[in-house]
Amino acid sequence: MTALPYSRNKRYLTGIDWIINVLNYMTLKETGAGFMSQVVFELNGEADSLQTESSLSAFMKKHPLLNGRASRDFNLAPYWKIPAEGTGKISFETIHLSDSLDKDTSFDDVLTGLEKGINRPFKNRNEHVAFHLITKKGKSYLAMTFDHLVFDARNAEAFLNMFQKDWESGEYPCDLTITEPAHLSMWMDKFKAGQRVNRAFLQIADRVPPRVLPLPLPQAGKGFKFKILSFKRKEAEAITENAFNQAGYLMLMPYALSASVSALHEIFAGRGFVSGNYVIPVSIDNRKKEEVMRQVFFSNVSFFIFKVEAELAVSFPELLKSVKEQMYNQVKTDLPGDICKASLLMRIAPLPLLGSLMKIYLKGQIASFSFSYVGESAYESSCFMNNKIINMFHMPRVPVPPGIGIFFQKSKENLNVILSYMDGMLSGEESGKIFDLLKFRLGVE
Amino acid sequence: MDKDSNKVIEESLILEVAAILSRDPGSIDPEIPLHEMGIDSLGFVELLVTIEKKFNIKLMESGLTRNDFRTIRSLSSKIGAMEYSR
Repeated sequence: MTALPYSRNKRYLTGIDWIINVLNYMTLKETGAGFMSQVVFELNGEADSLQTESSLSAFMKKHPLLNGRASRDFNLAPYWKIPAEGTGKISFETIHLSDSLDKDTSFDDVLTGLEKGINRPFKNRNEHVAFHLITKKGKSYLAMTFDHLVFDARNAEAFLNMFQKDWESGEYPCDLTITEPAHLSMWMDKFKAGQRVNRAFLQIADRVPPRVLPLPLPQAGKGFKFKILSFKRKEAEAITENAFNQAGYLMLMPYALSASVSALHEIFAGRGFVSGNYVIPVSIDNRKKEEVMRQVFFSNVSFFIFKVEAELAVSFPELLKSVKEQMYNQVKTDLPGDICKASLLMRIAPLPLLGSLMKIYLKGQIASFSFSYVGESAYESSCFMNNKIINMFHMPRVPVPPGIGIFFQKSKENLNVILSYMDGMLSGEESGKIFDLLKFRLGVE
Repeated sequence: MDKDSNKVIEESLILEVAAILSRDPGSIDPEIPLHEMGIDSLGFVELLVTIEKKFNIKLMESGLTRNDFRTIRSLSSKIGAMEYSR
């Protein structure tokens, strides 16, 4: 009999997983809920709530990993403790908007329901996924709220893709990768990567902290607010065309980031901020689609770190040039790869200590805002269960600090832009202005 | 610049694009636009960095037009011409 090369109830955490745990710890401490996100399907027709709940419960039961929690091994490497069995009891909430309001319910009512879902903490430390179904006349919104401890954005899509395949035809992938080595070798390689990351951060750091919006006062709500802008096919094509013309061929990500910096700069300027530059971490996932389908769990992202001089933010061509150059240099020096390697060294630090260490470079801050661009969805079907998908978007709670982020994400032919911020951080007028400025910069006013 | 040199550059780019997309090099058509193959901003910058390292040409600063970048074939012939003029 051959011994299994891994333990079925243990999966070592990578350095990036540990950073996600730190961001979760910090966000939980500041807001009472962790570093969570929500993937939302806008569906045609009213989904059957009982059937949806029972099918999702049965599928979740197959994945005890989703009821695990972080622990530390005798060799000090952190790992994910996987229970022997999954729970068949999932959190599933149904809201019928058509029952209580008039039949022409607006998207604002739906958004309020979705915001309640994403801002509700998980019941206990072993719960990491919850579902919400909002139905209104002729439409449904199925939301999967998830901890970033168990999924990154594309993995959450891939998990739902797995569910859909299993539900449609009983097809379940046989090559899922759940194991991860302890990474307790090749120390010199990790130390050298750490040196390069250290140098990169020292270049980014100024004498003053980066420009940040103050976090809301403690008496303000601790939840996150969202604004969602969905560009349909023609507008999305126009944005791609504008990106090609202004930023260059296939330069949509730097174009979207520059537009976001430019829009947020106006808000900072409007409030009279003059000190500091902008620092923006950009999460990237350079796995190919087949890899995403195999590595469905935990985080498989890394980061670019952009620094934008405040005076460049007023000149869009200069801003674009700077962002493109930084992206090019960071690919050339493989900063994202070095961050993955160097972060393995950080796993020795307990979460509160690592949280403090991460703020040292930028004088008590971590970033001005978060940004990501996801160009390819991992969800393949055009339906969720029996209902046709109209749109799919994400609602991430941004780590606190900075507590604000802008996210671009493609879904079939749509391009969605999501503004996520702590309640009280922006006024209604400011959040509206950010979207107006974004539309102006993207050329689709 | 002869056709054989362009062919060598093209084959080298096909290998790079196949590696970026995790695909079999045989499935890469040099006439298909890169964005239709599924290359995004990050993959494209990876390709530019590879070209810089391999051919010592900084394409980001070279003033090439959008059409020059569009397919592996057009990119290969531009790289060939730039190498020849050096």
